[in-house]
Amino acid sequence: MKFVLAVVLLLLIQAANAEVDATSVDFKSQTITIALTQEPPQLNGMKATDQVSITILGHVMEGLVRYDRRGNVVPGVAERWEIDDKSATFWLREDARWSDGSPVTAHDFVFAWQTGLAPTTASEYAFILYPVKNGEAINRGEMDPSQLGVFAEDDRTLRIEFARPTGYFVKLTAFISYFPVREKFFKLKGDRFAADATDLLYNGPFKLTEWTHSASLKMVKNDNYWDRDKVHLNVINADYITADTRARLNLFIDGKIVHTRLDGETYKDALTQRFRIRRFSTGSVFFLEYNHRPERVTRNRNLRKAIQLAFDPNEMVNKVLATPGNLPGASLFPIWLNGVEDKFRREYPAPVSDVDVKKANQYLETAKRELNLESIPPLVMLSSDSPTAAKQSEYMQGLLKAKLGLDIKIDIQTFKQRLAKMTSGDFDMVTAGWGPDFDDVMTFGDLFASWNLNNRGRYSNPAYDSQVRIAMGSSIPKIRMDAMGELQKIIHDDSVVLAQYEQGVIYLMHPKLKGVVRRVIGADPDYTYARVVK
Amino acid sequence: MTDTTSFQPTHEDFARVKANLSIEQISRPSLSYWQDAWVRLKKNTRATISLYIVIALAAFTLLGPVFWQVDSSLQDLNQISQAPSLPKTAALVGAYKRWDGIILEDFPVEPEAYVESVTPVAELRAFEAATTQQVRLIWNPTVGAGGYNIYRNQRAPEDFNDLGLPLGSTYGGNEVSYEDRLSLESRDYYYSIVPTDGYDEYEVFTVTEITPRMIITVSDARDRNLISAGEEDNLGQEIRLEFHPFGTDYLGRDMLARLMEGARVSLFIGIVAPFIYVIFGIIYGGFAGYFGGRLDVLLMRFADFVVALPFLLFMILFKIAFGIGPGESGIFPMLVALILLLWPATARLVRGQVLQIREQGYIEAAKLLGAKPHYLILRHIIPNTMGVILVTLTFAVPAAIFTEAFLSFIGMGVAPPTPSWGSMCNEGVKTMLSHPHELIFPATFISVTVLAFNLLGDGLTEALDSRMRSRE
Repeated sequence: MKFVLAVVLLLLIQAANAEVDATSVDFKSQTITIALTQEPPQLNGMKATDQVSITILGHVMEGLVRYDRRGNVVPGVAERWEIDDKSATFWLREDARWSDGSPVTAHDFVFAWQTGLAPTTASEYAFILYPVKNGEAINRGEMDPSQLGVFAEDDRTLRIEFARPTGYFVKLTAFISYFPVREKFFKLKGDRFAADATDLLYNGPFKLTEWTHSASLKMVKNDNYWDRDKVHLNVINADYITADTRARLNLFIDGKIVHTRLDGETYKDALTQRFRIRRFSTGSVFFLEYNHRPERVTRNRNLRKAIQLAFDPNEMVNKVLATPGNLPGASLFPIWLNGVEDKFRREYPAPVSDVDVKKANQYLETAKRELNLESIPPLVMLSSDSPTAAKQSEYMQGLLKAKLGLDIKIDIQTFKQRLAKMTSGDFDMVTAGWGPDFDDVMTFGDLFASWNLNNRGRYSNPAYDSQVRIAMGSSIPKIRMDAMGELQKIIHDDSVVLAQYEQGVIYLMHPKLKGVVRRVIGADPDYTYARVVK
Repeated sequence: MTDTTSFQPTHEDFARVKANLSIEQISRPSLSYWQDAWVRLKKNTRATISLYIVIALAAFTLLGPVFWQVDSSLQDLNQISQAPSLPKTAALVGAYKRWDGIILEDFPVEPEAYVESVTPVAELRAFEAATTQQVRLIWNPTVGAGGYNIYRNQRAPEDFNDLGLPLGSTYGGNEVSYEDRLSLESRDYYYSIVPTDGYDEYEVFTVTEITPRMIITVSDARDRNLISAGEEDNLGQEIRLEFHPFGTDYLGRDMLARLMEGARVSLFIGIVAPFIYVIFGIIYGGFAGYFGGRLDVLLMRFADFVVALPFLLFMILFKIAFGIGPGESGIFPMLVALILLLWPATARLVRGQVLQIREQGYIEAAKLLGAKPHYLILRHIIPNTMGVILVTLTFAVPAAIFTEAFLSFIGMGVAPPTPSWGSMCNEGVKTMLSHPHELIFPATFISVTVLAFNLLGDGLTEALDSRMRSRE
């Protein structure tokens, strides 16, 4: 009995402690605590590719421009700019400073972009710098980085020459690959650059002060930041690193973190806890990508058409995914993209084809005839190891078996392994997704151009390529959008991919924390303008 | 006391004594070893119940599919994650028709000026009869709104923070309709509308309660043979949906059919693998034990070596060696790995028994009478080790079933859509809190099967132990 009492007491003390520790927000010190889904794998902006790194970098760094609370482009390091078809000029503000107090100069941008494109850096995002003159050639190793079309006319004037007209260039400069890097510091650190909190210089609203690997990070308001008056938070503690939605929900319930995403299971608990659930569209499109390599049966258009006509994205979104926020996939271009004046999808509605199993089977018969096959051999569907993806694949497997009699083998792989298999072409279909890198239709449009390395199904169609070239070669919105509209038609007619859904997420946010911005592009969630209210 | 000296024997004293046959009468039937074991097993209640459970499982696995002819991989998206229940009915309706919603022309898209507060929307109602295919909401616009957020809850909301799931938004004060199709069930829903200024919400809301009617489309009903050809025009008619006595899983697949098919996989591994490796173990152990000497040492050291091999690693190696690609069943390599790696336990046990038995007197006697080794082994040694062997076998079965369940749970076993109890548990654990039946059924089957085999094994150990032969 004594023992039981002791245990109960111990638990009570712990509970009391938890009450005291429950400081996911603190009004007085303007401190918040968050959880990251993983440790940032790479905080070198030239090399980072993942969402966690992009989010951290978005808080501690700043490019020439940045996005405001409503997602509009506003001045960042650059005070003002001018842009035409051939070049752009940015004038840098005087009070832009690094965290060590030294000024951010035009040379820092020149150095960062040159290094980012150098083949030795092997940046996966190098292509995003291609609009800068000679960028592509430098990245291929055909030219010296010093020949890049970017010049520091003086410490505060940056001039860029374009490889081709790039109307959306200003928006690009908010991306991590365009962030500045101080040459002297970079060379001093060598291989250690961005390996630890002290191995990086910061010019953003926050700076990283502590980084205990695979345990926690701490971001503190950067007093050298030019726009520091707009930043209210003093400290952002990333004390937890876990992707487990249930563990994160428990942390949220215990008042340890300010934000967590919910999935198909955890939202039910959140509902019983009577939390306010919020919704957000991530801007990503998920689709079934086919392998178009010659030896694969999925190269046959009629087979792909058959699958297209048997699939109902509404059913997938409402019955299989069954969490709010997802939209049925209709096109490779999501609804939020801007067109000429209105949203792109309002100006160029996505072609629709209703489910028609009879017609689908006719296509299938034609495909078999063309392929000289009695029956279609089992198709390998590559899938990632997330619960949603597994469920999705099983649904597709059942659907294609029931409607078309196709046998599907599901190949579940980890993200990295799946990417490797996609690159080597070891699949017939793959459940893939694409998130935008910048605010322009081109971030989706050039995905299946024959030269794009992310076109892992090796789709190659001169008509597609020529439309991409038209859109790339012009800065007149109407011409570019018309080309993209054509592209949308080609993707549907040729069934290049099978659009499944546009991703939406539901999440919880601490009610005392206001002004957190959810973004389709860049740091998400963005705590830069957040404040703790009483 | 009789005085011995005065004893006078008579003729009767020397008469032949008749054998009293009644004394030697065997009062109980003469029982062989096996008969006796069976008697004792029957006296053991636990073991008897376990035996019946094992028989019932065999019937469930082998005869079940004859009576319950449902395709275990057929998805019924009208009945997803249904708990066990009686058959349900649904109204027959036509195909889904797109609805463009209602956009008022005489109401501003955006308010002319920002207002501090707005009144809640009025007359929130269903546009037409709500069904599980779609719930269409309409409401009257409120002055100052630049859009509306739509929420759905499964109980009446208590306050502004308790509105439930954020279903979606409309972007315009004149967009006063919303269509909800998100996994609708035939139950009470509380829909709330919150006006926004286009971005942020005003803290007022309007609630309405709607109960959708369970429906099925004609084409779905036709695909599933729920209606005959003549009935297709009888829209609105109530028809009986497919019956799922054990409920359905997250893709609407019949749990009972899946459990039966899962049982086939689990019991196949659970019985075939131990059977083969126990036989191999008997031969190996018997050989080592009977011949003894250096051969015995050599053989048993090899067995020790096999014990040291890691099972999981070999299972993966076999999977690769047999060229079993992703998405294909891993049952065969699992079987091979089980057989190749688990025989030493039986071999050791049998060897020990044989070593003991071959020193017994009756073996000596048989040898002296000229019995050949194969006769000795088959007639005397193996039958005497039978008890031990049977017990090993009954304990090996649950172990193998458990291994299969574990490997399928971590995704190394069956490939979807083939179910096994282990993979069903893996799927069920994800929805443990909302749809517990998806986990409870397969988990119960694994537990009960393993327990039944273990208790049966226990009973057999006692029954087959000759030192415990009944003496009553």
